Amino acid sequence: MRRYDAAIVGGGHNGLVCAAYLARAGKRVVVLERRDRVGGAAMSEEVFPGFRFSVFSYVVSLLRPEIIRELGLPRHGLHILPLESTLTPLHEGGKAGDYLAQWNDHDQNRRELMRHSRRDAEAYDEFGVELHQMARLIKPILAMAPPDPTSLHPRELLDLGRLARMFANIEKKKFNALWRLLTMSSADYLDAWFESTALKATKSASGIIGTMLGPRSPGTAYVLLHHYMGELDGVFRAWGFAKGGNGSVSEAIAAAARSFGAEIRTSAPVQEILVERGRAKAVVLEGGEELRAGIVVSGADPRRTFLGLVGEKHLPGEFAESIRKFKFRGASAKVNLALGELPDFTCLPGRGPHLRGAISISPSIAYLERAYDDAKYGEISRRPYMDIVIPSMLDPAMAPPGKHVMSIFVQYAPYNLNGGWTDSRREALGDAVIDTLAGYAPNIKSAILHRQVVTPADIERVVGLSEGNIFQGELSLQQMFFLRPAPAWARYRTPISGLWQCGSGTHPGGGVMGASGRNAAFAILGGRA
Amino acid sequence: MSFHAIVIGGGVDALVASHLLARRGKQVLAVEERAPAAREFGWAPAKVVAELGLALAVEAPDPWVTAILQDGGTLELWRDVGRTSESIRRFSERDARRWPDFCRRMAVLARLFERLYLETPADPLNLRFALRVRGLGREGMVDLMRLLPMPVAELLDDWFECDALKGALGAMGIVNIRQGPRSGGTAFRLLHHHVGSPEGVFRPPHTNISAVLRARPAVHFKRAEIAKIVVKEGRVGGVVLGDGEAIEAATVISAIDPRRTLLELADPAWLDAELARAIAKIRRRGVAARIYFDTPIKSSTVYAPSLDYLERAYDEVKHGRVSERPYLEAHPTPQGTEVRFQYVPHEANANADLAAAARRLLPGLENAKLASILGPADLEREEGWPEGQPYHAELALDQALWMRPLPELARYRTPIEGLWLCGPATHPGGGIAGAAGYNCAQAILRETN
Repeated sequence: MRRYDAAIVGGGHNGLVCAAYLARAGKRVVVLERRDRVGGAAMSEEVFPGFRFSVFSYVVSLLRPEIIRELGLPRHGLHILPLESTLTPLHEGGKAGDYLAQWNDHDQNRRELMRHSRRDAEAYDEFGVELHQMARLIKPILAMAPPDPTSLHPRELLDLGRLARMFANIEKKKFNALWRLLTMSSADYLDAWFESTALKATKSASGIIGTMLGPRSPGTAYVLLHHYMGELDGVFRAWGFAKGGNGSVSEAIAAAARSFGAEIRTSAPVQEILVERGRAKAVVLEGGEELRAGIVVSGADPRRTFLGLVGEKHLPGEFAESIRKFKFRGASAKVNLALGELPDFTCLPGRGPHLRGAISISPSIAYLERAYDDAKYGEISRRPYMDIVIPSMLDPAMAPPGKHVMSIFVQYAPYNLNGGWTDSRREALGDAVIDTLAGYAPNIKSAILHRQVVTPADIERVVGLSEGNIFQGELSLQQMFFLRPAPAWARYRTPISGLWQCGSGTHPGGGVMGASGRNAAFAILGGRA
Repeated sequence: MSFHAIVIGGGVDALVASHLLARRGKQVLAVEERAPAAREFGWAPAKVVAELGLALAVEAPDPWVTAILQDGGTLELWRDVGRTSESIRRFSERDARRWPDFCRRMAVLARLFERLYLETPADPLNLRFALRVRGLGREGMVDLMRLLPMPVAELLDDWFECDALKGALGAMGIVNIRQGPRSGGTAFRLLHHHVGSPEGVFRPPHTNISAVLRARPAVHFKRAEIAKIVVKEGRVGGVVLGDGEAIEAATVISAIDPRRTLLELADPAWLDAELARAIAKIRRRGVAARIYFDTPIKSSTVYAPSLDYLERAYDEVKHGRVSERPYLEAHPTPQGTEVRFQYVPHEANANADLAAAARRLLPGLENAKLASILGPADLEREEGWPEGQPYHAELALDQALWMRPLPELARYRTPIEGLWLCGPATHPGGGIAGAAGYNCAQAILRETN
């Protein structure tokens, strides 16, 4: 029987990142992935013949630049194509010009904003500066193992002191601005900046992604910032699309890990993390194979890891209680379409550059709130929020010649649907999405060749994310930093010696960021990230 | 006659500040725009009471609240923790067992805030604050960090299963704010309204503090509208009243809301443009109407049968409508009954339908004779509450503590020399009677002595 230094449970991007760093440091590492391919929620699949999809996560922005650099991901096939714009149609059946577009090009963007509000066009640059500054403040925190403020351990105190010094050096004004972002609703935050309802609506949409909250609920301003933290080639807030789909991100990381000597096993579902006398000894695969390892690192979410693979009987009561309380409440779904022709938006007809960017169905804050109102009482949003991209516009290899793939991120589809998810409810969600979209692009119905609907229940079943939460646990302030996933256990360690966690259920959380995997590897190796 | 200080606006904070300055030998004129409240809502801190040598009548109803259930039954929450447990046991054995622990843990946090609320707020990046928080111990620290940003619904769902209990407690997270129980930051508001009360009581009392202070002779009183705060070369010079009378003083303390104080009464040209913009953006939306009946109700009663009920009431105001099924709170008063009806958006007008809902939902008021209804706009006119918001600035985490109402104004000082703010828009905010006036007076005395 082979013995490994580290067995990593789950071959999602964080597990792979962690494996790559451990292998790079000379450790003998094995990654165990339940499915027949790596990537977890960051994976590509030919769902319909000739049509490839990023079935779950679908854009890249948050992936930490230091990971791309240190693991040499471009060498291993990572190629990111930038998304140039976001188009927000403002009314169903809106006439030409009835939209707000945001462009990466500063001047073009300004001209477009001027069409809606001269004042907002002025304020927009200032807004960009503030968010940029805030993202820079947060950046060093992303790469940090959160210290435990309740601990008296000298090492924790040292790190706390370091954190306090870092904050003490922040200008008061910036600290207060950060506090506002952490505690405000994205609607209130944007109200303080802008007057145009269209601009506020499209901006507030990034505050609700992945969360079971509406834009008027405090806490969403932080989610907005979280989605601003992306950096591609040194450009903040740049969003891109991985050539070959988001699976290419995972495959590049996997290739990097292999190049450092990591072993990656797919179709190797872990059934149990074996704990003996308070220490993780091995992992047991379905079928009974037992792999012993010096340490076990779990990339699965906290509920699955601790209440599922480890089992409550091995956990201290208070810790188990915290994990039980950790909130998931998946709210997001995906609809993937194979299209015979491109959608034609009434507000901006024809095949323009806007089809190479994102299209956001978020015409007003009230619209998003109504979508949330449906979901908070357990129903699918009748008129959902959607974030749409057409990957085949950037990477023609995703679809057969002349045809296209469309990826629609949908909110809200509550995991805890009244009556539960069934095939007919899944199709009802698909219909709500298509009906809504047809209001803006009437040709969509006739353009559809195939349709795949992915509900939170599907995400849970296929990828293993509890309640289908795309962040492995809500990104709310009470579940962040030193509370993620449980107080005193935010430094990637667990109460079980030899068991570590590296998924986005740990600090700094979700999005295809990789920071959790990297921070965990550094914590395991005893160094600082 | 000349004065050292003019205190404008009336209200308990103005009264406390006036008397504290008068005790240090200052000649103080308090200009009131309206009569002070006979019954003041809010905890009167022991420090304030002791310093001013007050003998107060504190209303301590027992049960402190009676919650009306949807089937017409009631749940009584008593001042005694054990007795409340018994009351809860009829609905849930598990909740009854958990109640004492919940009360204890909330009280630990409330004790911390009782101290923080009687000081000029310090931002959290200071060692004294850090040490105090550490003084809570591990459990308290974790509770504090988790609780502050949480929706009150999440906090209560973690603890309890009984809808009526969660509704009655959750209501204290949403009073006077345009948020529902599922909105982040509302758990902090439950805690805020617990500060100063004994373990197990989650509602500030009514006292006669304003009436007692108003009856004291040490301060000169004048009933008048304020037309203007006079500023010369960046320094306050006094006030001009509605009838044109000008009164000079080197110190002016305003308990009126900061937006009116700094942007209307004083000339905003004295402010930095960015600060003026920020003041104009202070959120202060009123969300409730007051209904007065001549018939007295038996005890303090709430209609908040579940968290979902409250959330649905909020859904309507979110879209600008009066709640069809509102959160109701009724208190006996010497004149009859005062009912708080939430939510009424500040942009809407109150109408008689509000009284019908109260009669329908609150037992004992079925045939009550209506005296008056005040919607948010009426409350602005009658009580001086901007947009009908009794706390003058919404008490949300981004407008609380060292951010209240804005970081630049949180130390009671304004950029205009000699002009100070107290009142519910300043730290610690509404529901705490006189603490802002106390803190403001201390800051002024520190400066002048």
